[in-house]
Amino acid sequence: MKKSFIAASIAATLAFTNPVQADWQDTLVQAEGQTVYFNAWGGADNINDYIQWAADRIKDKYNVTLKQVKLTDTSDAVNRVLAEKAAGKNTNGSIDLMWINGENFRAMKDNQLLFGPFSPSLPNYQKYVNENARQSLTQDFGTPVDGMESPWGMAQVIFMHDTATLSKPPKSMVELLAYAKQHPGRITYPEPPQFLGSTFLKQALYELSPYRKALSQPVDSVDFDKITAPLWAYLDQLHKVAWRNGQTFPSSAEEMMRLLDDQEIDVALSFDISAASVQIDKGNLPDTVRSYVFTGGTIGNTHFLAIPYNSSATAGAQVVANFMLSPEAQIKKQTPTIWGDLSVLSYTKLPASDQAKFDALPRGIATLSIEELGKTLPEPHSSWVGALEKEWRKRYAQ
Amino acid sequence: MPLQKIKWTQWTIALLLAFPIAIGLIGTLLPAFQYFPPLGQDTLSLDPWHSLFEQGEFYASLKLTLITGIGAPILALWFSLSLLAWGYQRPFFRKIETLLSPILAIPHAAIAIGLLFLLSPSGWLVRLFSPWLTGFDRPPNWISVQDPYGASLIFALVIKEMPYLLFVMLGAMKSLQASDTIKACQALGYRRFTLWRKVLIPQLYPIIRLPIFIVIAFSLTVVDLALIIGPNTPSTLAVTLFRWFNDPDLDRRLMASAGAVFLMLVIALVLGGWELAHQIFSQATRPERSNGKRSGLSDNLLRSGVILGLMSLLSGFIALALLPIWSLAKRWRFPDALPAKWTWDNIDRATPLLIELTSNTLLIALSATLLACFIALLMLETLRRSTHYSTNKSSGYNKPHLFDWLIYVPILLPQIGFLFGLHVLLIYLNLNGDLCAIIALHLMYVLPYVYLTLKGPYLAYEENYLQEANRLNRQTWRNYVRIKLAMLKPALFTAFAIGFSVSIAQYLPTLIAGEGRYSTLTTEAVARAASGDRKQVGSMALLQAFFPVMIFWMAQYIPPRWTRWRLALKTSLRRINPRRNKKCSA
Repeated sequence: MKKSFIAASIAATLAFTNPVQADWQDTLVQAEGQTVYFNAWGGADNINDYIQWAADRIKDKYNVTLKQVKLTDTSDAVNRVLAEKAAGKNTNGSIDLMWINGENFRAMKDNQLLFGPFSPSLPNYQKYVNENARQSLTQDFGTPVDGMESPWGMAQVIFMHDTATLSKPPKSMVELLAYAKQHPGRITYPEPPQFLGSTFLKQALYELSPYRKALSQPVDSVDFDKITAPLWAYLDQLHKVAWRNGQTFPSSAEEMMRLLDDQEIDVALSFDISAASVQIDKGNLPDTVRSYVFTGGTIGNTHFLAIPYNSSATAGAQVVANFMLSPEAQIKKQTPTIWGDLSVLSYTKLPASDQAKFDALPRGIATLSIEELGKTLPEPHSSWVGALEKEWRKRYAQ
Repeated sequence: MPLQKIKWTQWTIALLLAFPIAIGLIGTLLPAFQYFPPLGQDTLSLDPWHSLFEQGEFYASLKLTLITGIGAPILALWFSLSLLAWGYQRPFFRKIETLLSPILAIPHAAIAIGLLFLLSPSGWLVRLFSPWLTGFDRPPNWISVQDPYGASLIFALVIKEMPYLLFVMLGAMKSLQASDTIKACQALGYRRFTLWRKVLIPQLYPIIRLPIFIVIAFSLTVVDLALIIGPNTPSTLAVTLFRWFNDPDLDRRLMASAGAVFLMLVIALVLGGWELAHQIFSQATRPERSNGKRSGLSDNLLRSGVILGLMSLLSGFIALALLPIWSLAKRWRFPDALPAKWTWDNIDRATPLLIELTSNTLLIALSATLLACFIALLMLETLRRSTHYSTNKSSGYNKPHLFDWLIYVPILLPQIGFLFGLHVLLIYLNLNGDLCAIIALHLMYVLPYVYLTLKGPYLAYEENYLQEANRLNRQTWRNYVRIKLAMLKPALFTAFAIGFSVSIAQYLPTLIAGEGRYSTLTTEAVARAASGDRKQVGSMALLQAFFPVMIFWMAQYIPPRWTRWRLALKTSLRRINPRRNKKCSA
């Protein structure tokens, strides 16, 4: 009794003096030799290559083996954790780390399928992340992050056009419709519920609806029909003059870029700001393609890493998440020819040497600078995604 | 096979087959009635069904599924019967037969991607004629693929299914003594198409009924093909369910399970309706068939089927030929009919990955197929010796055995839903993500095809050869292998080749059992297809097609030469070491 009291008080004192470092040392020791199965969308070669690079570094530095399990859709991983819970497999789950945000995060968090909170105790998070820099760091599509996932990168919607066929691209939803009416069949967007398609709906809603403030509230608490009426009126008009008469839609950003290259469409969109440069480099787009954003700003968000509740390598997974937040990993990730994904670190919190490295990053010929990217519109509350998708499918997919 | 305990073996196999099926079914049925503890749902109710029937998209998807799922098998059957009637036993048709195997072997996803590139408005066909003939500097705004009526999906399904049906029919013809019938009918003055229509097809149909059912179930439930080339506003029911299962809103899973159960009912109803329609059709055409006329107007149906069938075969081949070109292309833009810039980069970059994928793929496919061949032989042997078969043998037609139904359940059930239920079992057994689990799940899908291919030749085997051998010496196992199996070589090789290609094509089973930890050429190709990058998909599809085609080619090439090679090897060995052989023969 007495002994344990003493031990507890020693632990408490230790915790007061230097809790994080001591804990982190434990985590590092525990992580050694672990294998972390990282479930991440595997549709892009450059991203897979980046993860492979990170895996090699992590193996060298921490003796943790990182294995990417390539997904076609993040919800496959959500499904798997769910199946494991169904079978009562509450330890030794098959997934140790997953790339996640938005609805998938909310679904997992609400159903207690996540391990944590862990991100605020990661050393690199404490050193380099400024939670106030962006709302999306603490509010993932309006769902409080609460330390249950660790930020990895930031994305923003960009548009692409081929300067050889279209010199002055439409820079707002209204201009886009006007352009489509002049050039029938050359404008389209990905099919919701593909996330970029849903984002297009949200972007249009921001620009068209007079009730912007309502978008940050849960959809149940507002008048959905009234707020979204201008959106559907707009889409009704757009679909009549859209690619393939609005009867079918591309399935992803990648397909849009292919259609842009084939000159079936005139404007493509992506959530990856360096997409155009990367694809030009690969020979998938002509070098006359350029990126641009709408004058009123475009939607941006943060993507995260989360650990399922039944992971068998939580220590290893935290080591990986921490490495991904290091300046080394974030600089590499923001390099346009590697991935071009925006850093989540606060520039002012970085040491001068790392700031210089960020400054020195080259940009691809079709990648916009941070200033050119302009204003970021926040994601609406995550409940909007489902509601918009449902209504869209009811109206246009039956 | 000198097998003891026939009954015991039979029941063990039946149980082994039935167990996963039962678990998969329960795993789909319970959530459909709101019982799903991980989401905190543990009271039975009809709510998932209510929400299913409230979805407008459900009805639209169902309509589309019925159109494509019934249309495609009808067309595929029509074309393949026509082609068979037109070319059977003609020399040039042998060449077409050997060409069938590539299409048979290539996974659906690859074919769909190739067709998409062939037929889309910016696709190869339009490019070929642009701009010099069409005047198109840019692709037209046509809806030639992913059309809302599902025509392009039907076309893709027909291209995939027709070769399979033709393959099965060619196998089945052997048991019909067709050449005698053809000779007799031709002597009576019947035209080629007429005698097929009136005499041979009605005999052929009962034998190939099960393969047709498989084709129908496949058309109604296919996911990957429909994802790529099917319409998306709405999609087919299977794709809609697939999306609901993957919806971040976890409660939608319950509704999706109800949908999966409904899809099973749809399959059962369509199959029943198909049989009924067949009965009515054959009743209605009976007077015409027996009117004694040596030709008829309906012959034109078969004649046009030949032309349409050849056209779809041709499109299939072109689509396949285009894929490898993509893997060598650097720039290939509309309206160029061939790439403007070529490169080895795509293949170079993919090589290390391809090696890993290939070894995984081969390991899984070879073990699953070998196991399937072994189990199929066991099953057929017990079937041959079971009482009801031997008594019916003389009548030439036998009632379907328990196996015949059990074994087809997995391929008749929609993979979505069913596999999710099965996944829970794998987790209980702690086999999830294990290579053995992948092989076991593949086995479940490979076995029916192997069994089906072997069944005819195995049961038709003239048992006297084996009995004679057993009378000469008592080494029954040795005789079984060296006499019976050796004589069944062609059928065994073909069954192996079919099983192998089925295994290579599996997408959802690999993904679910392997939990993504083991990638194969197919899982990777479908993942890449999602990105729409035809260059990568091109090199994947090339390899994906290479191995099955190789095996198919070997299955046709090796059996006739086996004995010659074996004897040549023996003679050359004897020449090297004459003394040892002398001792042996003494």
